[in-house]
Amino acid sequence: MSILTLAHDPRRRHAFGLLLLSEIKIAWRRPAGLIVAVGVPLALLVIFGSIPSTTQPRAVFGGISFFTLYVPTLLVFVLIAVGVGGLPQQLATYREQGVLRRLSTTPVPPSWLLAAQMGVSVILAVIGVTILLGVGVLAFNLALPRTPGGDLLTLLSLVLTVAATLGLGLCTAALAASPQIANAVSALLFYVLAFFSGLYIPLQSIHSTLIHDIARALPTGAGFDAVHASFLGQTPGVEPLLVLGAWAIVSSLAAARLFRWE
Amino acid sequence: MTIQLTEPDLAERAITGAHAPPPVIEVAHLRKTYGPVTAVEDVSFTVAPGEIFGILGRNGAGKTTTVECVTGLRAADRGSISVLGCDPRHDGRELHERVGVQLQHGALPERIKVHEAVQLYASFYREPADGDELLDTLGLASARDQTFKKLSGGQKQRLSIVLALIGSPEIAILDELTTGLDPEARRETWRLIERIRDRGVTIVLVTHLMEEAERLCDRVALIDQGRVIALDRPAALATAAAGTRVRLRAPAPVAEERLRAVPGVSAVERHGPELVVTGTGNLVADVVLALDRAGLRAEDVRPETARLEDAFLALTHEAAHPTDPEASR
Repeated sequence: MSILTLAHDPRRRHAFGLLLLSEIKIAWRRPAGLIVAVGVPLALLVIFGSIPSTTQPRAVFGGISFFTLYVPTLLVFVLIAVGVGGLPQQLATYREQGVLRRLSTTPVPPSWLLAAQMGVSVILAVIGVTILLGVGVLAFNLALPRTPGGDLLTLLSLVLTVAATLGLGLCTAALAASPQIANAVSALLFYVLAFFSGLYIPLQSIHSTLIHDIARALPTGAGFDAVHASFLGQTPGVEPLLVLGAWAIVSSLAAARLFRWE
Repeated sequence: MTIQLTEPDLAERAITGAHAPPPVIEVAHLRKTYGPVTAVEDVSFTVAPGEIFGILGRNGAGKTTTVECVTGLRAADRGSISVLGCDPRHDGRELHERVGVQLQHGALPERIKVHEAVQLYASFYREPADGDELLDTLGLASARDQTFKKLSGGQKQRLSIVLALIGSPEIAILDELTTGLDPEARRETWRLIERIRDRGVTIVLVTHLMEEAERLCDRVALIDQGRVIALDRPAALATAAAGTRVRLRAPAPVAEERLRAVPGVSAVERHGPELVVTGTGNLVADVVLALDRAGLRAEDVRPETARLEDAFLALTHEAAHPTDPEASR
């Protein structure tokens, strides 16, 4: 609500701009988030891209290569890393250190700091996705979506996925009593969600309807389906997009209700 | 000797007199509980414009909760609070424009630089003060490019004062301002607070340091177990509650017995070669005359200013044991 007043108050807009800028500088001075969200997927891309057999088309994967299948997984990895991996710990730390409390005594509400932190996460996601795609195209002949509208569908899928992971990150931050708990819960969510994006083994090679049903209902499974389909020039279908949208909305509303400022 | 202490001075008259300006803070019958724990039972006080008002008490007495309610961080269960005519829970944003707060448990991100924090906080306010000038005044100019994490305890404390003043507030509320500072830094901070008051800022000082309250405050409210147990000028409070003290040398033990019989004397103690007489009224004259009448000669007679600390101990003891005859004056 207070964020909405930004639009027609230049002074408040300037204040929010400075807050966002200062969070960006702080993130840059402690680049742990950058290493996890950009460095790790980039390393995986380079390793798997350099193994000759991964770029050969395979019948198990429906006639495409492992590499083609793995790129959407790595893109989803970036989005889990910024949302579930980095955000909760940062917010829980700010809460524990009294940063949110300090802000509550100024004319600026502490919710602005949440918004600025989400802004930083989105910027990290954009950097991560851009670097992955850039290196993929330049070094490993990655084929970007070529059909008309395929790039827009990919973008939409990525945006909905990051909205869902940010929502989950906010929920974790809302419920975690301390940065340590936030860290532990983040790790748990991270590894489970990463599995359903196909990080450890491609889900296509698992013959279990149950696993596929769970994957479709989770943000990372749905995110993978949507990104993968739009990359291949297919329409992702309404289901994964609806699943992602539902996760984004429900988790954000839950976080807004549950968030503790101190 | 006690006359100087009890006669109201001009500041006191200005505060209590008929032509006194309306108070900037009014708290009436504030009550706040956390589940089964009552943090604040019944607290009332008013703060006049331009004064340094102390809220004094032990740890856990309810000081911080009181201040959190006044600044709108917490909702009171009962009672009314008015700050500059605003209700802290409903006009929070307007209030925060005009009231600067330094919190005991409020901090900045570890990796923000001093000048960035000052610039950022300045942007939050309608009429920000000159940040560079404040940094200069508080001796932080050389630490401009340091990150918050690298600052010493004293520097962090001074930065939090800068941020409390960056919005050109009419009232500054400072919670446990000098806790963790070394004596030199503490004295430096006290001088600074007086300079801020001289600029016309009303200051509410929350502290458990008696020396700090004595040195700085025009008036103090003593809070104990969630209640205001006394509210007055520090010197008046000290004299009224703890009485006056006289140190002297006289031949013991005859003198001790004689002195105990003097009306108004509440205690006679021997400290090495000296006798310390505590009591009320015109103590020096009474003591010397009583000894003279007994044919004894008092030497090295020195009246001692009552300390707020003694008053605090006496009053909180009284509050805890209201029927204890030893504690009542």
